[in-house]
Amino acid sequence: MAGLLRDRGRRPAAAGTTADSAALASAVGLPEARTDSSPLLDVSDLHVTFHGRRGRVYAVQGISFSIGRGQTLAIIGESGSGKTVSALAVMGLLPDSAHVSGSIRFKGEQLVGRSEHDLRAYRGRNVAMVFQNPERSLNPTMRVGTQITEAVRCHLPLDREQAHERAVELLRMVRVPAPERRFHEYPHQLSGGMRQRVVIAIALACGPDVLIADEATTALDVTTQAQIMDLLLDLQSQTGTALVMISHDLGLAAAYAEDIIVMYAGQVVERAPAGELFGSVRMPYTQALLDAMPRIELEPHVLLPVVGGRPPDLSAIPLGCPFAPRCPGVQQDCREQPPRLAEHEPGRWWACWHPCGTGAPR
Amino acid sequence: MSVPAADILTTPVPAGPESEAAGRASRGWLRSAEITIPGAVLAALLFFCFIWPLVYPVPKPIGGSLLTTNLPLWSPGHILGTDTVGDDVMSRILYGGRVSFEVAAAVQLIGLVIGGLFGMLAAYRGGWLEAVLMRILDVFIAFPSLVLVLAISDSLGPSETHVIWALSAFSIPAFGRVARAATLRLRDQPFVVAARLSGSRAWRIQLLHLVPNMLPQLLTFSLLGAGITIILEGALDFLGYGIPPPGASWGNMIAAGQSFMSVYPRFVLVPSVFLLVSVLCLNLLGDGLRARWGVR
Amino acid sequence: MNASVTVQPARRAGGARARRLASSPALRLSGRRLLSAIPVLWGVTFLTFLTLNALPGDAASALLGINATPAEIRAFSIKLHLNEPLWVRYGHWLGGVVHGNLGSSLASPQTVASVLEQRLPVTLELVAYALVITFVVSIPLAVLCAHRPRGLTDRLCMVLSMCGISIAPYVLGLLLVLFFAVDIPIFPAIGYQSIGAGIAGNLKDLTLPAIVVALPLAAFYTRFLRADLLEQMQSEDYIVTARAKGLGPWRVLTQHALRNSFIGLLTVIGLNLATLIGSTVIVEQIFSLPGIGYELLQAISNRDVPVVEGIVLVFGAVVVLANLATDLLYGVLDPRIRHVRSRS
Repeated sequence: MAGLLRDRGRRPAAAGTTADSAALASAVGLPEARTDSSPLLDVSDLHVTFHGRRGRVYAVQGISFSIGRGQTLAIIGESGSGKTVSALAVMGLLPDSAHVSGSIRFKGEQLVGRSEHDLRAYRGRNVAMVFQNPERSLNPTMRVGTQITEAVRCHLPLDREQAHERAVELLRMVRVPAPERRFHEYPHQLSGGMRQRVVIAIALACGPDVLIADEATTALDVTTQAQIMDLLLDLQSQTGTALVMISHDLGLAAAYAEDIIVMYAGQVVERAPAGELFGSVRMPYTQALLDAMPRIELEPHVLLPVVGGRPPDLSAIPLGCPFAPRCPGVQQDCREQPPRLAEHEPGRWWACWHPCGTGAPR
Repeated sequence: MSVPAADILTTPVPAGPESEAAGRASRGWLRSAEITIPGAVLAALLFFCFIWPLVYPVPKPIGGSLLTTNLPLWSPGHILGTDTVGDDVMSRILYGGRVSFEVAAAVQLIGLVIGGLFGMLAAYRGGWLEAVLMRILDVFIAFPSLVLVLAISDSLGPSETHVIWALSAFSIPAFGRVARAATLRLRDQPFVVAARLSGSRAWRIQLLHLVPNMLPQLLTFSLLGAGITIILEGALDFLGYGIPPPGASWGNMIAAGQSFMSVYPRFVLVPSVFLLVSVLCLNLLGDGLRARWGVR
Repeated sequence: MNASVTVQPARRAGGARARRLASSPALRLSGRRLLSAIPVLWGVTFLTFLTLNALPGDAASALLGINATPAEIRAFSIKLHLNEPLWVRYGHWLGGVVHGNLGSSLASPQTVASVLEQRLPVTLELVAYALVITFVVSIPLAVLCAHRPRGLTDRLCMVLSMCGISIAPYVLGLLLVLFFAVDIPIFPAIGYQSIGAGIAGNLKDLTLPAIVVALPLAAFYTRFLRADLLEQMQSEDYIVTARAKGLGPWRVLTQHALRNSFIGLLTVIGLNLATLIGSTVIVEQIFSLPGIGYELLQAISNRDVPVVEGIVLVFGAVVVLANLATDLLYGVLDPRIRHVRSRS
């Protein structure tokens, strides 16, 4: 598994030593990044329940995570694991039918239960989000530049010319060639990769402290994917923005994230720093995800071990461990008692009665 | 006519998307109320217009006594009063309703069978047949069918049958368009392609696959079209091109009541209310079914 | 980073634009549309001619009345060239049209062209007035409804609009006349004052008729726009992006959703136009407006074929032009259609 980790050369927490990045940092309105260990975003025991026509759906059942300045956190899970819902909860973008409880603190301020008016001041300004489909995330009838300046002028007191300049600057920052010309173009005139860059520019328009990238590269081809991820990391190192990357791709997390959270059926089932996770996986689900990844070392024409079954229906909180029906190492107590997420080793959390690697039952 | 006529019914009359907020069983009830209430009212209207006069001795709509003119509402024996020539208003309403519903049903049926059939066949086959059909439809749409309608009525003499054929000039192209659009949409669906590839004959595919899938859309379209037809038929009567007096129809009752509006507004108001309620129920029913069946 | 890249000035030069326009797909589209319109117009006029002449009854008897003797009718027919075969008459008329001559009315000494000249402006003004009312009412109302779906305003609007599309125009017209002209005399019931005689009076005369034409339209457009807006707000990604920027709900509705709704609305308007014309017939009748619709009724009963043909031609041309305008407007509203060249 160690081969998965690219030698990224971990970025220094204190960046901004070059004139370039300082200029860029001020371009997005952030002071130069400095070492700061207090968490920017602290989510604690977050529950999200949807009240719909056919009853309730317990999409997120008590997850906790936090992220500090300049850090990169990956939230990994399959569809329906609750990762996007959590992100939307942080942004306050859930529909009225969603009931959110628990705590979401940004720089100490509680966000759960705040009014829409308060949340709007914070959305885009302090925490921003990048979505999955670049074709659909941009308004087709609005020029690209206008969509950026709109984001800028939403929170910052700039006039039209200043906003225009800033938008062009942002386009340059996300490496869109000929930014002045692109400013006046429409989304359909740009390629997928470029559109995603524009979406990133929009997200960074007001210099947010946290950027959430929800499957931001899933819809792109592999080369573009790498370009966008590199861009995100470069931007991050220059501006100190915390990055939460949400994905189903463990390989991506391995390559780019510092900490990884694995979610399943609305709960966190494993959490570890990237370097340690792949060395010693504990949660069988994570192991299964790893096993299912196609790798170059595998023999050709070998069947990929896939995880049988389907994720549980979230309209009822499952009894026992939610992964039990599909777990290859399931035991009787797994079905009866839900394992609690606990820090069994320093920095390593998992929720399993019979984790891999240790062999001994808890 | 001023009412959005058949043409624009090919775009859906909006039924409003649901919000997720209400999660109770009462929503299911409410949704079917949108269908059951107009449906019930409509059924009641149809009953009273067609069946009631057969069972109950309703006074004749024509040939009233000049001794009993202009009786007010709730008069004994004349629940809605009488008009200026002594005819019972209630029975004129009922017989007029017969005309309206008969015409509406007939026009929709003709449109469905002729227009729908041609639309489906031409769109399925494609090629020059479809191109010709589209040109013809274009002509009909640009052609003020109104002229046709008025001319036919004017020259052949006003009668219910003529009104039906005249109004079919609207409904045939309208159904043709809807059927064509639906066929084009369905034709390339995987299940139809599969049927074609497996060698099914065209008519079988059309009958077994296309028609059942088009039926909800055509049905709701018919209901909305029926409402429009009732209004149009009333308009024809109103202008004098429809059912001639002394025959009863809602349109000519309104026309006749025009002159007395300031003195006896009820002559205009009573048929107007029935007209409104009928069309409203048809629209609500069509809309409700559209939402229930998920038709675009 | 790209410190060495020079900034390109924004290209707003008029020259480039003009060049693009000249070879633009828009112009080519218009040309194609106009060409294909000709057979449609021909078909329309031919059909009308056939209908009017195939039906029993002819202009001579209609104009001379019931008491005319057969001899008189025959003489009059010859005078009106009605004895010539169908094809010849149509050919004459068609030839005339191509040269811009629409012929003369059979019922009165005027030329068709002058009849149209007198009557058309009235109808056009009525339609324009009605459209203004429609948009002024339906667009804000739809936005209001979409802002808080299932709220009080929304439910009220839905009920009212449902009634609006269910009410017959002649009923509405009569009721309005009853209330306004008789009970509360603000707007006159009948009669028409041309703009020349005073614009205030002119507008007052047209107000009630315009409302009658506008109400069902406005009701329909409100429902349509509302549904379109709501669908966007609930399922489109760019709406989520807009909200994620921190924009308020009104801005999201008006700046993002509404823009895209206009495209759909345009389609609906285009489909509506033919019926809009038809609706003016009833309205002009009720309010005694000297417009084309009123004239049409007269001409049909008089079997005044040239006038009917002229009016039908105008109707057909309006529909064709409206469709053309709609297609062109699509290009304006939807940038995806505007740019035919492939993405870079």
